[in-house]
Amino acid sequence: MSPAGCSHVNGYKVDNWKQNLRVIYQCFVWSGTAETRRRKVLQGDAGWTELAKSCICHMCGAHLNRLHSCLYCVFFGCFTKKHIHEHAKNKRHNLAVDLLYGGIYCFVCQDYIYDKDMEQIAKEEQRKAWKLQGIGEKYTTWEPTKRELELLRHNPKRRKITTNCTIGLRGLINLGNTCFMNCIVQALTHTPLLRDFFLSDRHKCEMQSNSCLVCEMSQLFQEFYSGHRSPHIPFRLLHLVWTHARHLAGYEQQDAHEFLIAALDVLHRHCKGDTIRDDNGKKTNNPNHCNCIIDQIFTGGLQSDVTCQVCHGVSTTIDPFWDISLDLPGSSTPFWPLSPGGDGSTVNGESHLSGSTTLTDCLRRFTRPEHLGSSAKIKCGGCHSYQESTKQLTMKKLPIVACFHLKRFEHSAKLRRKITTYVSFPLELDMTPFMASSKESRMNGQYQQSVEVLNNDNKYSLFAVVNHQGTLESGHYTSFIRQHKDQWFKCDDAIITKASIKDVLDSEGYLLFYHKQFLEYE
Amino acid sequence: MSKDYQLRAAINQKLIEMGERERLKELLRAKLVECGWKDQLKAHCKDVIREKGLDHVTVEDLVTDVTPKGRALVPDSVKKELLQRIRAFLVQHAAL
Repeated sequence: MSPAGCSHVNGYKVDNWKQNLRVIYQCFVWSGTAETRRRKVLQGDAGWTELAKSCICHMCGAHLNRLHSCLYCVFFGCFTKKHIHEHAKNKRHNLAVDLLYGGIYCFVCQDYIYDKDMEQIAKEEQRKAWKLQGIGEKYTTWEPTKRELELLRHNPKRRKITTNCTIGLRGLINLGNTCFMNCIVQALTHTPLLRDFFLSDRHKCEMQSNSCLVCEMSQLFQEFYSGHRSPHIPFRLLHLVWTHARHLAGYEQQDAHEFLIAALDVLHRHCKGDTIRDDNGKKTNNPNHCNCIIDQIFTGGLQSDVTCQVCHGVSTTIDPFWDISLDLPGSSTPFWPLSPGGDGSTVNGESHLSGSTTLTDCLRRFTRPEHLGSSAKIKCGGCHSYQESTKQLTMKKLPIVACFHLKRFEHSAKLRRKITTYVSFPLELDMTPFMASSKESRMNGQYQQSVEVLNNDNKYSLFAVVNHQGTLESGHYTSFIRQHKDQWFKCDDAIITKASIKDVLDSEGYLLFYHKQFLEYE
Repeated sequence: MSKDYQLRAAINQKLIEMGERERLKELLRAKLVECGWKDQLKAHCKDVIREKGLDHVTVEDLVTDVTPKGRALVPDSVKKELLQRIRAFLVQHAAL
């Protein structure tokens, strides 16, 4: 079975062979959509019904049995009963195509052959058929490029990922109150898409100096997935963070959330070399439409609708976000009462332990219509005067990784304290009730339909939790991260221990990282 | 035998015309991936190739070896679901 095709196709590759081959693929292999078929039948095109009928073995009439079509003439023969083989021998037509999978069989080689040109045509026709069927892009298994093949040959060492292997888990030494950084690093190195990006070497650095944080992240991933079990000492990372985010420098304890945002910001800025190029090969480096890996994974769109109470005109803005900061009960801003109509908690099945607050409660509060009292009148474009209004936030576009920040640290003028209220959060989260589109359907009178629950696009799975123990003055950060779908580990600086799902869900929760369950091709 | 055979051909014809065959194929494909069947068989294929040696194995070798195993490993639930779909389709398009 040679991957390079066989020489016997040379007899076929003459004249208009490419077009002929395309026609065979279009008509008999990837036979288009139900729509085109129905249309042709209705238009009285007997050809299509004939086509369906004609896809049978010319010798025995079977429509199964691995039907093949001769490439040289109009002949269909089944493979199982060797009718196509007979034809090949009698007519000396040595090539046939499998109508089920599109593979080309060479009767001289007595095997399927993979000719580059023919494969190319087959793939193109298949894509066209999918497009017609409205399927768009489908998952195809990875095939290495020439360069990747080279690399694979030069580096023969392979690692097998089994369900119990602990690759990717590594402790981090605390360099002096750096647990705030360590727990974020653990969360980032276990973000599947980010991990895949770095392990497939997608960062092309264009920074002249050695201070690219993205390069350092890449290095970090190498360390984490190296298989070393000794804890890693992230001194270079710390130094780079101090260089690029001065406000985080120093040996004091910092806020993990602040570190996350600062890190994402620096990574986003340093990703300049990886922006997608448009069709002319020009970089689309518009800061408003950045397409770096950080934006692709973490950036969502938050819609803010301000409704004038007099004319009911709505002014809408959409702002990008990397995280959602949620107020908690017990803070100086009032949490209750919630406005009616928003019914998220039953969707997410969180445990309401004798009236404890859930993440969904916090999200409901976040997306409730808020009356901006008489002291905060806005200028209404419809009324041309200052009016009272209500403001409501909803999610316009959800990021692939959604990070929820529970605002536990209160820094108001009066007091600085930590809010330790337990907030229960689910393993699986459905963001549908908080979407801008859901709000629109509610406003149009269509209350939450079961159809919305079937929408897989808004379903998320928890994969990392960052916790803070202690007080505002002295505390310690740890994290839980998820490995292999349902195994959880606690990361306490250099110490990694196995954790149960209960441990994770019972923890206080400060930063919650959720990953979209279903990813679509664009 | 022949009547049974004719019936199968007629059903197949209708399925293709109405595009249902493609849909069923897609459904089956998705189900078999979901339940891990595809991965199981892929691993088995790799074993066969390793055994026979990459330069000596043909697609036929794999087909002969894998077909019975593949057939046996399809979960009953998947078979049930597809049969149900086909039955429902036939009931709907009873002019057969």
